[in-house]
Amino acid sequence: MAGTIVEGRNVPENRSLTPDFCIIGSGAAGGVCALKLAEAGFDVLVLEEGPNIPKEKGPAPGQERKMLNEREAEMYKLLYQEGATRLSKNGGIKILQGRCLGGGTAVNWSACLPPRLETLDEWQKRGLPFTRQNLDPYLREVVNYLPVVRNDKYNTSARKFMLGCRRHDIPHENLPNNTNDCRECGSCGVGCPYDRKMSGFVKWLPDAVALGASIYTDTKVDRLVSSGDQIREVQAHFIDHKTRPTKRKLTVKPKKGVVLAAGAVGTPGILLRSGLDLDKRVGKFTHIHPVTITIGRYPEKTLPAYGVPDNMWTPKFASGPTGYLIETGSFFPILSASATLQHGDELHRIMRDYYPSGAISYAHHTTGFDEEEKYGTVELDDNGDPQLDYKIPKANVNPMRESLVMMARIHLAAGANSVYIMRNPPLEVKSDAMFDEIRQIDFTRPQSASIFTVHVMGGCQMNKNDKRRCVNTDFRFRDKKNLWVTDASIFPTALGANPQVTIYSLALWAAREICEQHQRPFKFHHQQGGELPWPGY
Amino acid sequence: MAGILSSALNASANPRKRSEVTQTTFDCLNKKTALILFAVAEAVLGEGFLIKAPRFIETVDDYLNYQRPAQREQFLFALLIAEVTFGLTIGGTFQHFSHLSIADRRKILEKLRSSSQSLRRNIYAAFVNVAASTYYASDLTWPDLGYAGVSVDHPEILNQPPPVPWRLDDPRPIEE
Repeated sequence: MAGTIVEGRNVPENRSLTPDFCIIGSGAAGGVCALKLAEAGFDVLVLEEGPNIPKEKGPAPGQERKMLNEREAEMYKLLYQEGATRLSKNGGIKILQGRCLGGGTAVNWSACLPPRLETLDEWQKRGLPFTRQNLDPYLREVVNYLPVVRNDKYNTSARKFMLGCRRHDIPHENLPNNTNDCRECGSCGVGCPYDRKMSGFVKWLPDAVALGASIYTDTKVDRLVSSGDQIREVQAHFIDHKTRPTKRKLTVKPKKGVVLAAGAVGTPGILLRSGLDLDKRVGKFTHIHPVTITIGRYPEKTLPAYGVPDNMWTPKFASGPTGYLIETGSFFPILSASATLQHGDELHRIMRDYYPSGAISYAHHTTGFDEEEKYGTVELDDNGDPQLDYKIPKANVNPMRESLVMMARIHLAAGANSVYIMRNPPLEVKSDAMFDEIRQIDFTRPQSASIFTVHVMGGCQMNKNDKRRCVNTDFRFRDKKNLWVTDASIFPTALGANPQVTIYSLALWAAREICEQHQRPFKFHHQQGGELPWPGY
Repeated sequence: MAGILSSALNASANPRKRSEVTQTTFDCLNKKTALILFAVAEAVLGEGFLIKAPRFIETVDDYLNYQRPAQREQFLFALLIAEVTFGLTIGGTFQHFSHLSIADRRKILEKLRSSSQSLRRNIYAAFVNVAASTYYASDLTWPDLGYAGVSVDHPEILNQPPPVPWRLDDPRPIEE
């Protein structure tokens, strides 16, 4: 019998539930685990802090999800953690993370890359069992189930990038997406209103519900209650449409166990609130991909909001412990304005000059490979909410400068009149002679530039090192026999690639471990042949 | 402690009254912080910014709901700090932030931006980020940007000629 989606904001009383498994978080890891555990015959309950994304016929032709209307001002507060205003503790980094049914998969730009080979090599040194060979069936399952496709309709930002790369002889490639017959509205980042992005609430979660899983949205987990080596209870409360707590509580007493999949800020936060960090390891060694951004200003109108946002990249600079991936995107008024670091007439001039004729490229930077470096820490604030304390590592400063230089070089080669660098104060690069100014930016100094991240990893890592290990190689949390961690918080380093495919694949692996432990079947269903869409990477 | 300090600052703040701020009920702001927010936004965005962003105060107040409570308190605290401690001595009298001219408020923003103290630079970033993003959230500002809006409101956007398809092995130049 099919399960249900219950909107916690509308629940009028306290509730108590006793599923086999309680999965905390409905993003990439939670969706996978929900489907595979439901498929194995378990009674599955998913708790999601964010709102449901109801499927109703909306007012616009072709629109299927009434809630998703592409309007930035309405969507950010509904779909993102802290209304898309989450900041690192020192205020220096904007952290964009999903907080809705589907989590990050609802708001990402659909980019699908596998884990870097050299990242997996590093992880093996740290005792993790994953290789591209043994991950192959998991990657294949993800690629065929979603599916992951090559969409070669390029928006203006991508085409300018391709032109600039060709002129500099920089190799560039299609970046696969998990989309199906994309409408090219450009709005992946505020939730696809047409269900053409194969996000969690389109694929994994509805399939899990069809097999009996139930989902409670608007449900914030307070703590896990344990005794001995067992988690006995999950304590949560319902929140209202403005994320304020209601007085109504949910108590879950899972018969088989708890799967943590709340992301690399949320999962450590829950463990810390639960007093399960006996050795002060949880939250430590948290990583991000710091993102540097350039906007090229071109002579013609570019319609930068529309078209497929993220299907072009170059792997040329991706290798090494501090390598970076340059990708292209789409951009919208609010996000643009929030990063200008400018005021007065200059603010409006920049918006008027760069928005209508702009093309964007940005770089995700790899971090986390230096075992002597502390990197970031997730800790609890005075109210018990998790926050990320993160300073840009010194080893990344030069690569961040060089990624900006490279992106500016590509824009200028493609015909840009100038390139906007979100430095404080802003910098408009008009020729190679200005690159030295980029090379002076001190990224270790908060607010010296606008820095974003959309990928948070680590904080509850799998590691053979006893002093660092939070999660064992079977995905169980330390000595707890019925608590598994399946999201990106288990990564011992940053990934060096857009992480959704890796999270999906590792969550499948984790689901197999859980099924095997309970002598239940775990099956692949989408192993058809053919080359995976990442030859050579 | 922070709560006590915030209460003390709120009690001592006396922001300039502005007829443009008509909202009387708030989720997170109060009358005083709304007036300070207006003064900050006027410095960042310019005189008459409400003409194109008439729901500015309401939008910021709404978004503050979604912030982590500690971060929300920091923003409200920053508004009060700005009003009570930032100002200029003009004609021998110390004038608080909201009572200064727009030009003088911008001088303070410039000092914050280039401050050696990260707290002050954070206040600058918070003020300009919140003001600029809320202003450009208003669809009345979009014609200035050449932004047509979103496809669910304007399905014709999806019918625009798509970019010229180009494949990796395509011998044609993309645009020359």
